[in-house]
Amino acid sequence: MQEGQSTQGHEHEHRSDTVILPAPTPWPLVLALGLALLITGMVTHWVISLLGLLLTLRAIVGWFFDIFPHELHVAVPVQTGVMKISSTRTTREQLPVSAEHRQILPVETFSVVSGIKGGIVGGLAMIVPAALFGLLKYHSIWYAVNLLAAGGFVSWASASTAFLCQFHLEGLLAATGIHAFTSVLIGLLYGAMLPMFPRKPILTAGFVAPLLWTGILYSALGIISPVLNARINWLWFVISQIAFGLVCGFIVNLQVKVRTPQFRALPFAVRAGLHSDVPLTKDEDL
Amino acid sequence: MTTITTASRIPIDGPVETPWKLPYRGNVGMACLIIAESAIFIIFVVAYIYYIGKSLSGPTPAQVLELPIFGTICLLSSSIFVHLAVSSLRKENYRATTLHLAITVLLGTIFLATTAKEWYHLIHDEGLTIKTNLFGTTYYSLVGLHATHVVVGLIMLSLTLAFSLAGRVKEEHSEKLEVLSLYWHFVDAVWVVVFLVVYVLGR
Amino acid sequence: MTTTPVLEAVDETLETQGKPPLNVIYEWLTTVDHKKIGLMYICYALLFLVIGGFEAVLMRIQLAIPNNHFVSPQVFNQLFTMHGTTMVFFMGMPILFGMGNYLVPLMIGARDMAFPRLNAFSFWVSAFAGFLLYFSYIGGSGLYAAGSAPDVGWFAYAPLTSKVFSPGHSTDYWTLAVFLSGIGSIGTALNIVTTILCMRCKGMKMSRMPLLPWLYLVMSGLVFVAVSPLTAAQIMLTFDRYLGAHFFDTQAGGSAILWMHFFWIFGHPEVYVLVLPAFAFANEIIPVFSRKAMFGYPAMVAASVAIGFISLSVWAHHMFTAGLGPAGNTFFVFATMVISVPTGIKIFNWLATIWGGKIIFAVPMMFMVGFLFQFLIAGLTGIMLAAAPFNWQLSASYFVVAHFHYVLVGAIVFSLFGAFYYWYPKVTGKMMDETLGKWHFWLFLIGFHLTFDFMHIPGILGMPRRIYTYEDGRGWNTLNLIVGIGAIFQSVGTLILVYNMIRSYYKGKEAGHDPWDAWTLEWSVPSPPPSYNFAIEPTVNSRRPLWDLKHPEDPDTDYE
Repeated sequence: MQEGQSTQGHEHEHRSDTVILPAPTPWPLVLALGLALLITGMVTHWVISLLGLLLTLRAIVGWFFDIFPHELHVAVPVQTGVMKISSTRTTREQLPVSAEHRQILPVETFSVVSGIKGGIVGGLAMIVPAALFGLLKYHSIWYAVNLLAAGGFVSWASASTAFLCQFHLEGLLAATGIHAFTSVLIGLLYGAMLPMFPRKPILTAGFVAPLLWTGILYSALGIISPVLNARINWLWFVISQIAFGLVCGFIVNLQVKVRTPQFRALPFAVRAGLHSDVPLTKDEDL
Repeated sequence: MTTITTASRIPIDGPVETPWKLPYRGNVGMACLIIAESAIFIIFVVAYIYYIGKSLSGPTPAQVLELPIFGTICLLSSSIFVHLAVSSLRKENYRATTLHLAITVLLGTIFLATTAKEWYHLIHDEGLTIKTNLFGTTYYSLVGLHATHVVVGLIMLSLTLAFSLAGRVKEEHSEKLEVLSLYWHFVDAVWVVVFLVVYVLGR
Repeated sequence: MTTTPVLEAVDETLETQGKPPLNVIYEWLTTVDHKKIGLMYICYALLFLVIGGFEAVLMRIQLAIPNNHFVSPQVFNQLFTMHGTTMVFFMGMPILFGMGNYLVPLMIGARDMAFPRLNAFSFWVSAFAGFLLYFSYIGGSGLYAAGSAPDVGWFAYAPLTSKVFSPGHSTDYWTLAVFLSGIGSIGTALNIVTTILCMRCKGMKMSRMPLLPWLYLVMSGLVFVAVSPLTAAQIMLTFDRYLGAHFFDTQAGGSAILWMHFFWIFGHPEVYVLVLPAFAFANEIIPVFSRKAMFGYPAMVAASVAIGFISLSVWAHHMFTAGLGPAGNTFFVFATMVISVPTGIKIFNWLATIWGGKIIFAVPMMFMVGFLFQFLIAGLTGIMLAAAPFNWQLSASYFVVAHFHYVLVGAIVFSLFGAFYYWYPKVTGKMMDETLGKWHFWLFLIGFHLTFDFMHIPGILGMPRRIYTYEDGRGWNTLNLIVGIGAIFQSVGTLILVYNMIRSYYKGKEAGHDPWDAWTLEWSVPSPPPSYNFAIEPTVNSRRPLWDLKHPEDPDTDYE
């Protein structure tokens, strides 16, 4: 904040004045009552309608003279004083912002592309624990592949474990397709989310995102692919996901950060690296 | 800790760039009323069209209805005169205002009289009432709803005419008279629709 | 703490103390002040909220266990008819009109509504309509021994409403009361539109107007095209019942389907009439408690207007089971689904407003968070019901009841409660108690979810709505009991609100003119505002005039 310009003393003179307001009037109430009684007579007795009619007519006349020839007014006295308009919010020292932007972004962040790269490498890394799972549990690396492919082949729904342990070319192709597509998609999603949590990519990618993803799948898989749901081993699933996430986060961390528009608003000395840093926030009290 | 003390950037009653002009509330209010009333009429018109030819018994519209050409001409031309009344009031030509108002009221009354005559004919000679069949039900309610609006308009116009004759209507009331004329134009426009639906389409 | 004192001429009214009570009553009966009328609207609506809520509790007691005989079938029919009619016409509309009446002139910098006398008239007509409806309990049977309260459902399908099937005057009470309240609604809507278009203070262009008046503008516009058809239909029904006309008389070729069309042409836009003000409160409260400007103001305005228009073309999704034919079904399924687009825009904008903000979880904001989640779920079940085949299966089941109560209670009532806590300091000058407010919030939230989450399931299991009792052994027992228990939680929560409002009025902390550090014009005047609102008519240069005053270093004017 630059030196606050002290332009003190624009005291507003105390005005003692009156404000013209419409005068209170009973006729709207009477007219409403008249109409209501007019209608109530339809469900009770015609005498009530008659009373309603009389009230209505009287109210219309009364209302007419409220408006004509001149609208009735009352002058309400006003005493003006001085009111302080202040904010309880701290005016904190902000990063200097450029003219078009007022939001505060991190100075640097990752680009979307780094998320995709992470997704591809993470997808490759994920194959290891998945294959390990098949080997250890069913002594076949093709088990996990076929299980993934089963989502695409209806006839495999009731296939035996032995069948799933064999090598099937169409299974390998389908699984590779599904796996590649999902990996890139997750990488893209992650890359899009990165500017929101730019600080610790390995943590978010490695643990938070896989757990979230697994949680969503856990609740939805029963509907999407019952075959997979019946046979899936969630412990190994989470391990594969975390392997994916850790590698993905690691790859992202290797990428070069890009500068947000906020960076351009920094003073030249900071941008040129002469000054180390500006205090990002300085909340004094709240 | 910085202390910023500064006066308002907002001029409390300073000049605004362009003169601050808002529409007259009477016109806007009447426009709103017209929208609401149009919705009511649309429902009645829809009911009328929906029930064309669905009556289980006679008489049918083709048998009993005749084109009310004279009444229609009277009502539609009254729109012109109420407009003339407003414009002459703006020019402070009070005699012309009174005259035009009187013609408007007269034409409106003639229209109402033709409707009354038609209804008398239908009820008395043809035996068509609201209870007779679906045509009677929809015809009397649609035309009756319009006639109610004509009556309300006529009462207000006559009142204005009375005050005009007493010399109490002045130039400063021209905005209010314009609001009333808007209503009257609306009533006329509705008649065009009612005429087309009941007497042209419905026959 | 840094303060930016800014000087503005404001007022202290000379309150005349100790008037005799009769004068006070006369003053309120004859007032044309929009704030007093707004408060009367709200108090009157709260009275009917209690009555309508009581009816709901009676129904839940009846349904809590199978084969119950707590009330008779006739009384049960009257209860759901009166509950629906009361909550829509005599609680929902008046309370939202009341809030609008109070807030719109203050937010646009006006001293009163455009037609102050019409305003008073509209309120009193609505009020007498409510009394007329409830007079049916006495007048309906007491004086003429012909039926009692209306029992034809709040939509009063033909031909049940004809003289043959509903003798006596009970249905007439319904017709006439709804007709009368319709006149009041149209009057107030007319007033709100005119006020917003013609009474804005200097500099308040339409593009600078706060979102609350904007949404009230759209809502009032909808009232013209929604309530008027209902008024027309009530006139027709009255003709049928009194003059022997045949509009809805199936014996004489009249059509029962036509009544359904006319009723739902009103009925569905009516939902948006009710929910748009709820959006309006969210639009004011969420930015203030997120300490950020509203995200996507033009998109919000456009989405509101779009909702207004699309909502006029969705009514027949209430009538899929009546058989509309393939073309009709397709059109209304499509139109209904399209309306979720602008609604989605709104939800995303609210989330984007909260995102990255410095959120303050005061009671109003808590209600807003509840509103956001529940409205989302309500919208999702709405999309389910919009699919015609799904609708054929579940129409007129408790699933539908749960869905629309999710909208009406989960979204509208939550937003309304948030608005109470937010504007109460402005209206009374006292803060509401935060602890009691949190009790209210949590109890009501738990009760709401107990009742309406579990109400979906009996619907899917086949429990039809409007049944008086049910047999044992259908798997509905536990669920209905849970639903009933939820109603207790909600009642206790609401009673805490009432207690809190009364207690805070006498013992609450002084609020000052701007307790929430907010940005719109109503916070620039004393609490409670003087009868003339603004001693000096304000001039604004941006959407958040008070922000500009508080932050002269970074005013909104630079960004608009």
